[in-house]
Amino acid sequence: MVRSLKDIIRSSSIHVCLINTGGCNGCDIEVVALLSPRYDLEQYGIYVHNNPREADVILVTGAVTEQWVEKLRRIYTKAPEPKVVVVLGNCPLTGDVFNQEGGSVYAPVSDFIPVAAEVSGCPPRPSEILAAILSVAPGAIAARGREKE
Amino acid sequence: MILPIGPIHPGLKEPLRLKLKTQGEKVISAEIDYGYVHRGIERVMQGKTWQKAIYLSERVCGICSYIHTQTFAETFEKIAGEQAPLRAQYLRVLTNELDRIQSHLLANSTYFKALEHETLFMYMLALREPVMDAIELLTGNRVNMGWNVVGGVRMDAKESHLKSIMEIITGLEKEYPRYVEMFDQGPLLGLRSKDVGKMSHEDAIKARAVGPIGRASGIKHDWREDHPTYHDHLDFEAIWRKEGDNYARTMNRFDEIPVSIDLIKQVIQNIPQGDVRKKVDIPPGYADWRNEAPRGEVSYMIETNGNLIQNISIRTPSIMNIDACAKYMLQDVATVADAVATYASVDPCIACTERVIILDESGKRKDIEGIHNLKLS
Repeated sequence: MVRSLKDIIRSSSIHVCLINTGGCNGCDIEVVALLSPRYDLEQYGIYVHNNPREADVILVTGAVTEQWVEKLRRIYTKAPEPKVVVVLGNCPLTGDVFNQEGGSVYAPVSDFIPVAAEVSGCPPRPSEILAAILSVAPGAIAARGREKE
Repeated sequence: MILPIGPIHPGLKEPLRLKLKTQGEKVISAEIDYGYVHRGIERVMQGKTWQKAIYLSERVCGICSYIHTQTFAETFEKIAGEQAPLRAQYLRVLTNELDRIQSHLLANSTYFKALEHETLFMYMLALREPVMDAIELLTGNRVNMGWNVVGGVRMDAKESHLKSIMEIITGLEKEYPRYVEMFDQGPLLGLRSKDVGKMSHEDAIKARAVGPIGRASGIKHDWREDHPTYHDHLDFEAIWRKEGDNYARTMNRFDEIPVSIDLIKQVIQNIPQGDVRKKVDIPPGYADWRNEAPRGEVSYMIETNGNLIQNISIRTPSIMNIDACAKYMLQDVATVADAVATYASVDPCIACTERVIILDESGKRKDIEGIHNLKLS
């Protein structure tokens, strides 16, 4: 009973922390566009507040620069269980255009922290970002919560 | 007490560490740590043809991505001693101004978010979406457009597209004054904005502040005045103010949007027919070129051997503005909340700024502090 109640509550209360690990900012402004009345992120129960200590979903953008290698792992451990990581854009997947000779990036993000969903695109459209979060977050968070118990 | 803010923080869009020296609630001074987003773009560009480098220049900054490709292309055109066809130049102005409108609306929305004024934050984002639609209609993408090539633009705009853009722009123009009035006449917003984070004209000159931040402190210069297309074919006058506080910076951005709307109208009404792209043979040489990005002056210095880029240096506006913010605006601010709002009013774009890393003698990375002294030496 309590479990199923928790499932319902968790699926409609998703706290998101956005981490830019060294991208061009394009994905980040598409996340900001998600807050706009047109996409209205909050009607799906998703709240972006950039605080890793109370995040359910960690959104990672950017190609992981040198400064971020350790910090990314640290931030991941700071987020409470259950948590899922969604990576946005080509940068965290492959390093995109920065992953060439001379570039100082350490992509992919999956080398450092476990990744639940990936959205490709440079940048992905806001609707795609929303679909990705919704596809993994509620179910995964509820299931992992049960696992813990 | 030192209060660190960032690199991940609700008030910041991008990673950057703000160290505020506080006494009680009062902020005495501020320091900024850069270096979280350094990707080495300039180094990647070296030894590549322009076709392989132009998309990298676009990804210097995602918010003002358009102006970077235009400046890159125009630098190469200057090396070749040629100009893009007139229709392409008009289309460049059109895209540039659309990009400026969306960037300014985003910047102001971030400022209102920093003031915790959710209503205007939402209104600004709602106004921005149709402009993003216009950009997508014209170029095919919302953020990284890939619109410029050396010698023109990638493809022609259809008459129907220009007509739809005109409709979107007239719609925006009609709705727009209401929101400016909400900010301008709002008593609480005025209290939080006026006389907060002041930078005098002399300080702005010393800090080399550019763009709306410099213009809000009375530096009457806009690089669009010197751009050949604007200068020869369009009516344009720079907006500037003299208060130099958060209110002036936000209002300056607000006031620039009608100017952009007017420019877009002029472009759509007077756009000539013809080619949008021509072949440009690039000789070996060096050139620099400056343009007015939404945040201020962006300059490219490129040296090429005719085929490959040998050396490239990009200077973006945010580095000067963020530095001006830390050195002059964040001195004796009444509260920490005001300090965050002041920082947001500067419209910082960290992705732009990360051009340099400094290594100490042993080859270890050093945090960039006191970039001010570095620039002067």
